Amino acid sequence: MSEWLLWARGPMFRFAMLLMVLGVIRLVVLSLLNLVAVSRMAGDKRIPIATALRGTAGWLFPRWGALTGHPVLTLASMIFHLAMIITPIFLGAHILLWQRGLGLSWPALAQPLADALTLAGIVAGVVLIVQRIFARASRELSRLQDYLLPVLITIIFATGYLAMHPGSDPLSYEAVMLIHVVCGNLLLFALPFSKLSHVMLFPITRLVSEMGWHLAPDAGQRVAATLHKEDQPI
Amino acid sequence: MHQQPHYTYYAEDFPLEERPRRFLEAFAAILRYSNYGPALDTYVHVSAKCSLCTAACPVYQATGDPQDIPCHRSELLLRVYRRYFTLAGALKARFLDSFHLSDGYIDTMAEAFYRCTACKRCLASCPMGIDHALITHLARWILSEIGIVPKALLVSVREQLEGETRNTSAIPTVAMRDTCEFLEEELDEIYPGAGIKFPIDVQGSEYVFFPAVSDYLLEADTLMGNAAMLHAIGASWTIGSENFDGIDYGLFYSDRMWERIIKAQVAEIKRLGGRVMLIGECGHASRSAKEGMQNFIPEEERLPVVNIMELAHAGFVSGELKLIENAIEQRTTYHDPCNIARKGWIVEQPRVLLRHICSDFVEMTPNGVDNYCCGGGGGTVSIDEIREFRVMVGGETKAEQIKATGAHFVVTPCANCKKQVSEIIEDFKLDVVRTGLHDLFLQAIIMPDGQKPEARRVFE
Repeated sequence: MSEWLLWARGPMFRFAMLLMVLGVIRLVVLSLLNLVAVSRMAGDKRIPIATALRGTAGWLFPRWGALTGHPVLTLASMIFHLAMIITPIFLGAHILLWQRGLGLSWPALAQPLADALTLAGIVAGVVLIVQRIFARASRELSRLQDYLLPVLITIIFATGYLAMHPGSDPLSYEAVMLIHVVCGNLLLFALPFSKLSHVMLFPITRLVSEMGWHLAPDAGQRVAATLHKEDQPI
Repeated sequence: MHQQPHYTYYAEDFPLEERPRRFLEAFAAILRYSNYGPALDTYVHVSAKCSLCTAACPVYQATGDPQDIPCHRSELLLRVYRRYFTLAGALKARFLDSFHLSDGYIDTMAEAFYRCTACKRCLASCPMGIDHALITHLARWILSEIGIVPKALLVSVREQLEGETRNTSAIPTVAMRDTCEFLEEELDEIYPGAGIKFPIDVQGSEYVFFPAVSDYLLEADTLMGNAAMLHAIGASWTIGSENFDGIDYGLFYSDRMWERIIKAQVAEIKRLGGRVMLIGECGHASRSAKEGMQNFIPEEERLPVVNIMELAHAGFVSGELKLIENAIEQRTTYHDPCNIARKGWIVEQPRVLLRHICSDFVEMTPNGVDNYCCGGGGGTVSIDEIREFRVMVGGETKAEQIKATGAHFVVTPCANCKKQVSEIIEDFKLDVVRTGLHDLFLQAIIMPDGQKPEARRVFE
């Protein structure tokens, strides 16, 4: 067991991290190159950064307006996101890992607060999974990754909590830790290839949507020529 | 032998051979020469299927059919993109029995993308910032290149670009001139001796005026209000006899047509030596002109595009346009046309004017950038055969909004919204009068010499 754990925390983690970083760099670089290409082709060459930033900033903070439409979903996903952003970075046990790997450290979250956040993350995760299965609209939209990702993340929260509280742990510490680390690695693997890529693409998407309407002049003419329709009546 | 498929809207017969191949060829050509690729690339990655847009879409809220969820509709096209235009999709197709484009799938898209009114309300509800209206816009263009277009839109554009009258309603120039003369006589009864004119082909005018051409047939009061307002502020304006239609249905189904129409309009302004493109009370005409000018007209030839409500507002603020305070006593509310309100372009300007001339102005909830579409957006209002769906389903929310205000007048400064709201009033039997902003001006404008309008027939 401990050899598996060493493997998961060592080579597997390094590989996952490498793949994640390279994948994310590729996505971001390609997206930015795409935007440059759009601006070059478009009649309207302005890059509406201010509008895009405003839209992005609006969604970085809780949207109370959105609560009126889907209160449970909005609240659950807000808590889920908060737990997911704060605990990997500010949990004391994680900071030790950061320190070992990068030599950097920073103040940790108080343990009771971290516990509360993790438990809230678990509850929110379960709510999101149940919502996806039972709300008709969500179910109709869902793909495989939409079910797998919240399950994976909720497992990470749950095993993380158990690892911090070995007293209430029905399994062995090493088994729990192995599940925690392997699932964490899988999440890193999945990041550039799934909808998790919004971690990096989030600030770019709104810019892409704005620029999407910056169309290319003469595109219609060229499309018609390609399809051999330039002389056809309407 | 295949049968021509029947959609809820009429479409002219189109070739049935190898539709999937031709759809993909058109898609590929559009990706090659226009700018949609990056948006699709990003959307296939980040689309989270969170379902928050279900609370924003008036069509889905009315039908409750999962097919009408904005994210679901966009996925129809994104799936095709992923399969045929990304490496991952190509690989998946090699190893798994994955999706492939079929005739039936094309028919599903043909229906779905014309249920969307392209009102863009879902954009603000998407945490990822996916613009589903952009996908609708693109999908309709691709479909049109293989011949799938609602006939109502197609024949209008055909008449506008290739017909003799060069306008979507096929109004001969002589009939337009007659209408203008008749309206001048009418105006002379409201402002006797003021000499309000509809100038036609006046070289060197500052503004060349493009209302939705249907105003000449249906909205006499709007046009008279336009002329009275322009007279009051002393504007130098004209109507071009060779192209006097602001409508641009290219925005609804084809960038190719959008570009040709805006170029023809700009050519008319050039012929007359005009300096500004002035659009009448029409949402999509305003947006298609403003964005079309930026997108398709070379920088050195671009002209400013102004909506007539902006001009009235500027005149009012500068003191050139004087309006009788509280001229309208009945309760009045305002419907925001999506194409001018959603991005915050024209929201406050008409309200400043309405609060001045109306003693009892009330808002709908929600309003402004967050307004609900009338249900006839995206060109659907022109498609008469879908009236029942468009009005009774798509228009239900709007009917309830209007009813809740208790207003006597509902001001809808858009040719599309005007037709749709009239039909909503008729079908839901609402006790409301639908009007334009400039229609009300006919009871409120004070001419520079202090002349006020003669009391005239009250709106029926």
